[in-house]
Amino acid sequence: MTSVSASATSAGRLATAGSNASYDRRGSWLPTGAMITTRIMELRKRRGLMAALIVVNIGIPAIFLTVRLIAHAVAPRSYGPAGGYDVFTALVAGVMFVFGFIVAATLGCTAGSVDLTEGMFRHLVITGRSRLALYFARIPAGLAIIVPMVAAGFTIVCAVCVFAAPAKLNFDGVNVPPGLSLTGLQSWAKDHPKEVVCGFNYRGPIGVPCGINQNGKIVTPPGSSGFTQISSATLKADAVKIATQGYADYSRVFLYPSDMLMVKTGLWIELEAAIGFIVGLGLASLMGQRTVAVVLMIVLEIVLTPIFSHTAIRHLINVQRGLVGLAMAHLEPGGLPRPFGGGGGGGGGGPSLVYESTTVAVCVIVAWLVGWTALGAWRMSKRDA
Amino acid sequence: MLDETPDAHFADGPWAVETHGLTKRFGDNVAVNDVELLVPRGCAFGYLGPNGAGKTTLIRVLLGLTHADAGTMSLLGYPVPRQRDRALARVGAIVDEPRFHGHLTGRQNLQILAAARERAARDRIEASLERVGMMHRADDRVSKYSMGMRQRLGVAACLLGDPQLLILDEPMNGLDPAGMHEMRDMIQTLVAEGRTVMLSSHLLDEVERTCDAVAIVDHGKVIRQGPIAELLAGAATKVHVGCSSPERAQSILAATALGAQVDLETAGLSIHLAAGTGRDTIAEINRLLVEDGIAVYQLQEVQVSLESWFLQVTSRLGESE
Repeated sequence: MTSVSASATSAGRLATAGSNASYDRRGSWLPTGAMITTRIMELRKRRGLMAALIVVNIGIPAIFLTVRLIAHAVAPRSYGPAGGYDVFTALVAGVMFVFGFIVAATLGCTAGSVDLTEGMFRHLVITGRSRLALYFARIPAGLAIIVPMVAAGFTIVCAVCVFAAPAKLNFDGVNVPPGLSLTGLQSWAKDHPKEVVCGFNYRGPIGVPCGINQNGKIVTPPGSSGFTQISSATLKADAVKIATQGYADYSRVFLYPSDMLMVKTGLWIELEAAIGFIVGLGLASLMGQRTVAVVLMIVLEIVLTPIFSHTAIRHLINVQRGLVGLAMAHLEPGGLPRPFGGGGGGGGGGPSLVYESTTVAVCVIVAWLVGWTALGAWRMSKRDA
Repeated sequence: MLDETPDAHFADGPWAVETHGLTKRFGDNVAVNDVELLVPRGCAFGYLGPNGAGKTTLIRVLLGLTHADAGTMSLLGYPVPRQRDRALARVGAIVDEPRFHGHLTGRQNLQILAAARERAARDRIEASLERVGMMHRADDRVSKYSMGMRQRLGVAACLLGDPQLLILDEPMNGLDPAGMHEMRDMIQTLVAEGRTVMLSSHLLDEVERTCDAVAIVDHGKVIRQGPIAELLAGAATKVHVGCSSPERAQSILAATALGAQVDLETAGLSIHLAAGTGRDTIAEINRLLVEDGIAVYQLQEVQVSLESWFLQVTSRLGESE
């Protein structure tokens, strides 16, 4: 083999020039601010993806509430107020929680795979920058997009639900002053015995009339019969008894969500979106492609988690406990309906079918975040570019 | 204009690229086979081989895009992969077809790549675009770029790091004749600045025009390397003879012990002499023909091209196998 002799002159001119790698810590696993900023730009310029994120996180709640506002303004007797406590809980637990996770996961899957599929990963590796830094730059970049977007949608929901809340509390079809204590409700029931007796749900034995109808006959409450006359004192006593029975339910009904509930709920759905993004990022980096990863994330959120939250399978109970969706449901703020229709420990939907402590739920969530991040980073550092 | 005198330390050593026993396997297929490669600094170096010879795989191994199974290597004097970050800080490369984020503009793609490099790289974006003649399309989306424009953007990406070493994989691919000419000029300018350009190609004519030295790779193994002039000096010589009676001249020369292959042509003979044959042999041919009464009108030694030499080398390999 003939070897090529080095040219001293040609080697000379730039031989003093050299690497600044030691100064820019190129081998460090920590990403730079510029890497994060440009990564945000790369994701933000994906118009289709951004449109989907905006539609789901902001558009759907905004359109839903706008329609309700208009309908209530046009026909207030037919359509109730746009906001209020019930609308808040339904929108947050029913829409923003589930769909926020899915769009965040889609963003994560995109961030985790596009460099590979679009051929940029190779260019980036050739810069000498640590592959781990390339991976970790995506996490703050993605969160910088998804967190404000979820916050914007949630702020709209909170604003409408508070400022367009009903003026009176409707409990069992009866307008009741909100925020009464047990004594207050009993006192109010004593003053409005007919509304309470005929309107509130109750469990017997109570046998009082609701009033006298247009034909002059006594109207009896459902399930009662056989009396024709009743004293005012009896009517009031039964009204108080019914109010006492219903206080537990009444105490969970509000005109609009409290400040604390809104704060807790906001943090809860932000955490859910962050989990969706980080898990999606790790999964897509592991697989090296977006479509299958997105499908798997949707299956996890729409199929597996609801199934496992509705059924406690004895032999799979620990697997069920290991699902991040169920763990998140356990951290749900009190006062919200259970997400997925089951499994929520903290919500108003009753006890969970799959019991786990808050500590276990937190551990499951941390394990998912750390585990998927580690898997994605590992694959990124080992993958052929 | 790009920085020409960046200040920092640089590993010593005469070689921009140095490999010893470098091997890369894909299952049973040995894509890079015990490669010993020495690329001197400050020259244009061609890495030649037929399709599937392992050119791109070697480049991928050098750049850390895939791992080597055996052997050692260094870039700009830094051992790779141990000091990969230091080595690649002053290396620019295009591997395979240059691809970018199609939804971003050329400038935005460069911003992403500059962000992964040192801070000064961000200040070189405009100069890099200017240098490759892409300023007028810098704010267009890459999805609208032609192959040649993406190739230029790839070179601009290489220049962001003010590289000492550029590794270009098939840089002429997709370029029209004018683009190839510009690329050739650019490579020569980069070399004139003291940078090293290592390019892989199967376009032998382009390599011959552009490069100072080459290595020939076949079946993953480097079979020859050196300055082009030295390599061609050792190639078989071709002599064209114009004479009065070509058939008789052919039979005369075939009967001698010159060991030459003599082919009949329309206006004379084409004689292929073995590598290392001296000019005395050409004089001997002339003497033999004249002594037998054949009028010699023309006796011309034809310069061996890199392409014909490459074919000689690779066909010789084929014969040995």
